[in-house]
Amino acid sequence: MNAHGEPAVLLQGVRKRFGSVDAVSNLDLSVGEGSLVGLLGPNGAGKSTAIRMIMSLIRADSGSIRVFGGDALDMKDRIGYLPEERGVYRRMRVGEFLEFMGRLKGLPREGLKSRVEQWLERVELPGVIRARCQELSKGMQQKVQFLAAVLHEPDLIVLDEPFSGLDPVNARVLIATVKELHQSGRTIFLSTHQMAQAEQLCERVVLINRGEKILDAQTREVIERYSARAVIVELVERASTAIGSLGSIDGVDSATEQEDGRTISLALTDSADARQVMATALAAIPCRRVELSRASLDEVFVRLVTEHGGHSRQPLQGATR
Amino acid sequence: MIPKPSGFRLGRIMIVARREFRSTVFTKGFILGAIAFPLAMFVVVALIPLLMSDHAVPIQGTIVIADSDGSVAAAAQATFDRMLDDPLSVGGSAQDLLDKDSQPALDDLQSLGDAGTIVNVKVIRVSNTSDLIALRADVQAERLLALAEVPTDLLSADPPVDSVIALLVPSNMSPKSTALFSRTIRDATVVARVEKTGTDLKKARALVRQPKTDAARMTRDGTQASESLELRLFIPGGFMILMWIATFTSANQLCTTTIEEKSSKVIEVLLSALSPTELLAGKIVGQSFVSAIMLATYGSVGIATLAFATMLDVVPLSAMLMFIVWFVLAYFMVASIMAAVGSAVSDLREAQSLIGPAMSVMMIPLLVWLPISENPTGWLATISSFIPPIGPFIMVLRTTGAIEPIPAWQVIGSLIVNFAATFLLIWLAGRVFRIGVLMQGKPPTPLELLRWARAR
Repeated sequence: MNAHGEPAVLLQGVRKRFGSVDAVSNLDLSVGEGSLVGLLGPNGAGKSTAIRMIMSLIRADSGSIRVFGGDALDMKDRIGYLPEERGVYRRMRVGEFLEFMGRLKGLPREGLKSRVEQWLERVELPGVIRARCQELSKGMQQKVQFLAAVLHEPDLIVLDEPFSGLDPVNARVLIATVKELHQSGRTIFLSTHQMAQAEQLCERVVLINRGEKILDAQTREVIERYSARAVIVELVERASTAIGSLGSIDGVDSATEQEDGRTISLALTDSADARQVMATALAAIPCRRVELSRASLDEVFVRLVTEHGGHSRQPLQGATR
Repeated sequence: MIPKPSGFRLGRIMIVARREFRSTVFTKGFILGAIAFPLAMFVVVALIPLLMSDHAVPIQGTIVIADSDGSVAAAAQATFDRMLDDPLSVGGSAQDLLDKDSQPALDDLQSLGDAGTIVNVKVIRVSNTSDLIALRADVQAERLLALAEVPTDLLSADPPVDSVIALLVPSNMSPKSTALFSRTIRDATVVARVEKTGTDLKKARALVRQPKTDAARMTRDGTQASESLELRLFIPGGFMILMWIATFTSANQLCTTTIEEKSSKVIEVLLSALSPTELLAGKIVGQSFVSAIMLATYGSVGIATLAFATMLDVVPLSAMLMFIVWFVLAYFMVASIMAAVGSAVSDLREAQSLIGPAMSVMMIPLLVWLPISENPTGWLATISSFIPPIGPFIMVLRTTGAIEPIPAWQVIGSLIVNFAATFLLIWLAGRVFRIGVLMQGKPPTPLELLRWARAR
């Protein structure tokens, strides 16, 4: 909480309409200071529109948006923003561009160059300070854009699809940097439709579809909530020989052979003790692996989006005519 | 639609202005166009007289003049002989030539830019009753420079008649030589005709010659400066065109850089640090410095030219200072329009459809330059001074080197109207810019632009 006693970002009943389409409908959202929250949703779900409204780039039709208890326009120096549609001055040198952005964010000229150099090394871009932006690869440019958002080490970092288009190596570098920033106390709010990264990074996830919020919970809680009560047993031999004995274990409701022919999924009864079932299975049959079934965020995403009317309509840009 | 910016941070605006300035000025295109070109122009203007001199092809050969008594041929030979004796006199003024009792035929050479041409022509006289067929063949074969047939009645009729002298030249004869021969023979005919009457030609010429006037302006510091009506008409045009070029180059650049920032998607990154109005202000201020540099470089060439022509005092200091005021108003008006256009479109091709109508208005000062310079207090000048955004350009035409004083109420009134229009256009551009920069897709219609301007 800040001096106003409010979270870093607070949206209440926010609505934005483009023509006849509700880009964001009655969205309530709270991002506590120091938290790392992911805004998830399929393409066109309204993520970028919501973020642009938080950044005061576009005005909500109704509802209230507060950043650190005030208007984002007054807090620009405390916010780092990486937009989904991002770019650089192509002919500008990397160092000049970052110094320019740093100055715009209120950093003093003194020490700015060394700060830029440090940050470039931190994201594994040493030696490009004199290169022109257009000479960099797309992934390298994306890192430079990321640095433009975090160079001034803001209190709130808003990242719209920060990892899209990055190869796994570069994505890993940025994820590590985001984690470091979070550990140093920054509030991070990022949008993505890459569930693996969200699962890896975010303490909390907010899922929106068709402009409406359909999920807002701690990531671990979501995984647990949507994981089936089942035990997965991978056998040394073919499953067909063991399916009968595993199905008869106390607490097992049904046993289903998986497509690979070696794995059996044991659905548990409501009163079953999962640990007991696992121990019994291990004792009864030679097994390679016995574990509790765990849903991925990706599976949760697909399931929820499907339940709530399927994939979003045509992608909406926050300010597209 | 777009939130109002809270606060206006001058420091951030100047950071944007600095980048805008540097990204425009430190480019090959600008250095060539705004600095190298005027310098080259200056050098070329200075070198032209040197390049033009001593390169005239000599005129050498024989002319045959068929006249009734040889008087025309004799007079023509006398003229050509004078040209041979003093080739540099060919380049003198008409008055100089007359004063030397030379022939005005040489005006033709001067008008054709052939000062200093060596003329070595021998005149052969034949009777105009002779058979000229062989001589015509010689002309055709380029053995003769020309054959002139002077009708008898040109010399004998009293009063003189207007018969025509037939002048035959080879097909490859240069027009300047033909003009020289023509004028020399016509003048020789006059000389012969007058001498027949026993009149003193020199005296007669002196009697009919109109005296010159030597107009000079008494300057404020009491000295005399030269006067040229032609220059007085061109000076305001020069100032206006200078302002037009400086204004439009920068405003066009403003439009281009805005489109580039939109297309390269850097605009949203910038807007995370600045409000749209701050960004617009920074860009306009940055390009104003670019415009000022252009004004300084081209203006220096112009002022040096005026000083060279000893006409610097034609534009009083007050008019120079007012020129800067008019320039500032013109720049901010045009820059606002171009920034709004740049923000509303996604590429230069789309921009043309919006710039077109604006440009057709902005061409008006170029079209009315001469009528207004000739009559700076007329209705056209007075009314157009009050029409933004062309008002400042018109006022520059009227006040710099004006041949008639402009009523003070018109200057003050135009200032007020154009100041108000400048603020209005900046405000409207700001309204359009804050929405336009985040827009993608097809360009807006003029009605949509109006809606943006009215949006909260």
